[in-house]
Amino acid sequence: MVKDAPIELTEDEAQLYDRQIRLWGLESQKRLRCARILVVGIQGLGAEVCKNIILGGVKAVTMLDHENVTEEDLCSQFLAPTTAVGKNRSAASLERAQALNPLVDVKVDTENISDKTDEFFTQFDVVVATNCPVKELLRLNAICRNADIKFFCGDVFGFYGYFFADLQIHEYSEEVTVAKAVKPQTNNNKKQKIEEEKVTRKGSSIFVPLHDVLDIDWTSDEYKQKLSKMDSTFFLVRILQCFRSEVNRNPKAASIESDIELLKSIRDKELAKMNVNTDKVPDSLFQMVFAQLSPVCAIVGGVLAQEIIKTVSQKDAPHNNMFFFNPNNHLGQIFCLGN
Amino acid sequence: MGEMATAAGVLGADLHNKVNNSKILVVGAGGIGCEILKNLVLSGFKDIYIIDLDTIDVSNLNRQFLFHKQHVGKSKAMVAKESALKFNPNVSITAYHDSIISTEYGVNFFKQFNVVLNALDNRVARNHVNRLCLASGIPLVESGTAGYEGQVELIVKGKTKCYECSPKAPQKSFPGCTIRNTPSEPIHCIVWSKYLFNQLFGEEDGDEEVSPDTADPEAAANAGESAMATDANEKGNVERTSTRSWAQSNDYDPEKVFTKLFHDDIKYLLSMADLWKERRKPSPLIWSSIPEIANNGQSTGQGLKDQKVWSLKECVEIFSESCRNLSAQFKKLPEGDHMVWDKDDVDSMNFVASCANIRAHIFNIQRKSRFEIKSMAGNIIPAIATTNAIVAGLVVMFALKVLQEELEKCQCVYVRSKPNHKLQQIVPEKYLSPPNPKCAVCSPKPEVTVRLDVNKQTVKDFVEDVLKKSLNMVAPDVMLMPSGSIIISSDEEEMDISRLALTLADCNIIDGSMLEVDDFLQNYNLTVKIKHREPGRDDPLFDVIADPDLLKPTEEAESDKNGSKNGEGDAKGYEDDDDDLIMTVDDEQLVIPGSSSTKRKVEEEASVPVKKRRTGNSNEMLATPVEDDDDIAIIE
Repeated sequence: MVKDAPIELTEDEAQLYDRQIRLWGLESQKRLRCARILVVGIQGLGAEVCKNIILGGVKAVTMLDHENVTEEDLCSQFLAPTTAVGKNRSAASLERAQALNPLVDVKVDTENISDKTDEFFTQFDVVVATNCPVKELLRLNAICRNADIKFFCGDVFGFYGYFFADLQIHEYSEEVTVAKAVKPQTNNNKKQKIEEEKVTRKGSSIFVPLHDVLDIDWTSDEYKQKLSKMDSTFFLVRILQCFRSEVNRNPKAASIESDIELLKSIRDKELAKMNVNTDKVPDSLFQMVFAQLSPVCAIVGGVLAQEIIKTVSQKDAPHNNMFFFNPNNHLGQIFCLGN
Repeated sequence: MGEMATAAGVLGADLHNKVNNSKILVVGAGGIGCEILKNLVLSGFKDIYIIDLDTIDVSNLNRQFLFHKQHVGKSKAMVAKESALKFNPNVSITAYHDSIISTEYGVNFFKQFNVVLNALDNRVARNHVNRLCLASGIPLVESGTAGYEGQVELIVKGKTKCYECSPKAPQKSFPGCTIRNTPSEPIHCIVWSKYLFNQLFGEEDGDEEVSPDTADPEAAANAGESAMATDANEKGNVERTSTRSWAQSNDYDPEKVFTKLFHDDIKYLLSMADLWKERRKPSPLIWSSIPEIANNGQSTGQGLKDQKVWSLKECVEIFSESCRNLSAQFKKLPEGDHMVWDKDDVDSMNFVASCANIRAHIFNIQRKSRFEIKSMAGNIIPAIATTNAIVAGLVVMFALKVLQEELEKCQCVYVRSKPNHKLQQIVPEKYLSPPNPKCAVCSPKPEVTVRLDVNKQTVKDFVEDVLKKSLNMVAPDVMLMPSGSIIISSDEEEMDISRLALTLADCNIIDGSMLEVDDFLQNYNLTVKIKHREPGRDDPLFDVIADPDLLKPTEEAESDKNGSKNGEGDAKGYEDDDDDLIMTVDDEQLVIPGSSSTKRKVEEEASVPVKKRRTGNSNEMLATPVEDDDDIAIIE
């Protein structure tokens, strides 16, 4: 996907990106600046991802959202002005998103993602889908697989957040530190010293599509074992995805009581289907899934954006394949599922 | 109104109410500070104070997202406030373009807040805020990032360790002899060049000599020759006048400065024949015949000028130009004023880069690009948007838990560059780390031992170097116990200025003396025990030890070192800093409750003989003050 990057950076770019070039190197920065990214769903999480990759200096970001800014967005979506409630989310976000970095081509698309045909996606190197029903995620994932596009999806529900990555077969290079013996320079230190040396090596990582994760048989020996260590967030996210599919929206503070009841019944049904005990997702968690909490968007959006940067710069091993943030103990963990 | 309902919806009524009624202080409006401010205004915090003394630079814009190009040069705190208010116009933000280390922000100022969030880039300010939060009993959320790594911790007096409970890795320092006489790595030449800048244009510092060190014990095989060298030095030759007055008397003529530094001084070094028995000799350069030497064959960044390694001729041209420009600027300053080296100032940076490369050539050391030299000379810890966002998110999560009085859920959290073996990338510690009972700051009766030469250290050095620079006090008062006689008063009217030039011994401060030190601003009282010691060749002029037990096993090793007479202090490596750094967060540095923090480096040091080990700062000693403690920037 990201081909060789022959174009040199300008002196202006070198100055603007000085610090990150010192961290990930010139080559990564050049690759970054060739990357075209589609971000679907510009709520709190989508806004964080856009901010981070625009600051990082990708080539182009398309913000796609057919919905309008809601009052709930105001507690996490900082790209749309507070006066934009009722206006299209992505259009309302353009001005601030572009101001983050004039060197990045920021575009707006106000159509519904489900109306987009396969060809639409071929103009991108990476697709990031948020606030989509599972059915749509599966469709996008399949299109991306066909077209060799790196696919991410994720959501923040209140205090909880996750993302999933399908990079298919992903090749990368990484620096590793190896020990190296060096000869003493002067007779002062006769002992042979061991110095650390950094070497670059290649690696690759194989990913599975999203449906493999959704289809996990939690009664199988392998996953029965994993179950006790699984973060509740995984199952909570499944329940919320089902909620979204069922009523075509996310839980809303305005209808908090009835929504919690619905969430409980979805939990009982879904966890039973998976053969997972309902106490994996206690009732108390449902109080914490409304709107999107800004610091959680920052955390999940920060990790997700860094994964996008890693992916397009083909530097360092990517997270394979799900990330969850637990707001109670502040644990951010990766799970390799469905492989 | 709508957003009130929203915040209540996401937080729940109880937490929303607490957030709504809280008052919060953010210290720093840089990379982490911008992100914190955004999270706070969106989450419904209504009364926010932010303070930062810095102004906006172009290299901030890739992550400090509240600032745009048109804001370069403006106050970070003020612009951050304006930008964040657009995210939520219904909150109050009070911004100060000021240093938090100022008498205006004392204990009473801190007491008005429910929680203080640090988003700082240097250890001095972190120590200061730590002490003020301890003194005022306000919970502090401390944070920092370095590249992909970051850390967040909660500090509550009596419940958790404080910022100064575990000693931080000391600033990397180099023996004066290596810098002045026998550099062997690029960094030695870079440190020398920064000293040179200060000698010529900056604040002159006796520990930052650039001329040949004739007292180098390695230069003499026996005591007689050593005595001769010392004699020569005292008779007065080039060493006798200060580098600056010499340069001034020559009107900073680049050719003359060049010839002294890169020819005459090198010739002088060559005359110290013993130095070169085992080392490759340096080759002096002649101004009129600079050899044609290209860039060592290493050209990294094809197009970008900073990425190229200059040829020797280019180095000399850039040296001349920057030397001329700097001396012109210097002459414009009022009498007695001096310049401050700044990595972002073109001439200052060019001067250091060119001098370092010329010296590197002379000593057969690989030359570096301006880009690489800037990293090392400026001690830049690269900071990026994503890590800052993650850490700032965690900081605000901590703030919410503090308001909910769930301190027990705020274990120190590390953001790792790579997941650990359990595939955890954001990793909380298992337990809240309890206070270190021997902490020189937060223990009930803090005490340290300072080892120094009471016959040589002046009262002024003791105040400036030990109390202020090393122990981070701002305005200390010192009483000699048990008499209670006042040695130093922070009140200038009460202070007898003439005393500053006296040695400690002149003031009856001798081995075993006890001093009571009180910093009024920090509300910090410390007992200082004096231990007399004459430092050896590579020893620092003094050291500060927080844990008295540590003194015992090392004393014997110490005694056989005191033979040599020349007490050149360690060259101070770097200070300066950049960004949003913190403490480094290697795996090795994860602190296990109940044990002392260990770092791989320290363990390696432990394997060398004890005698040697004393010269590096031991793990348990309080580090000398540094802006940056980070190896990342130093290692190439």
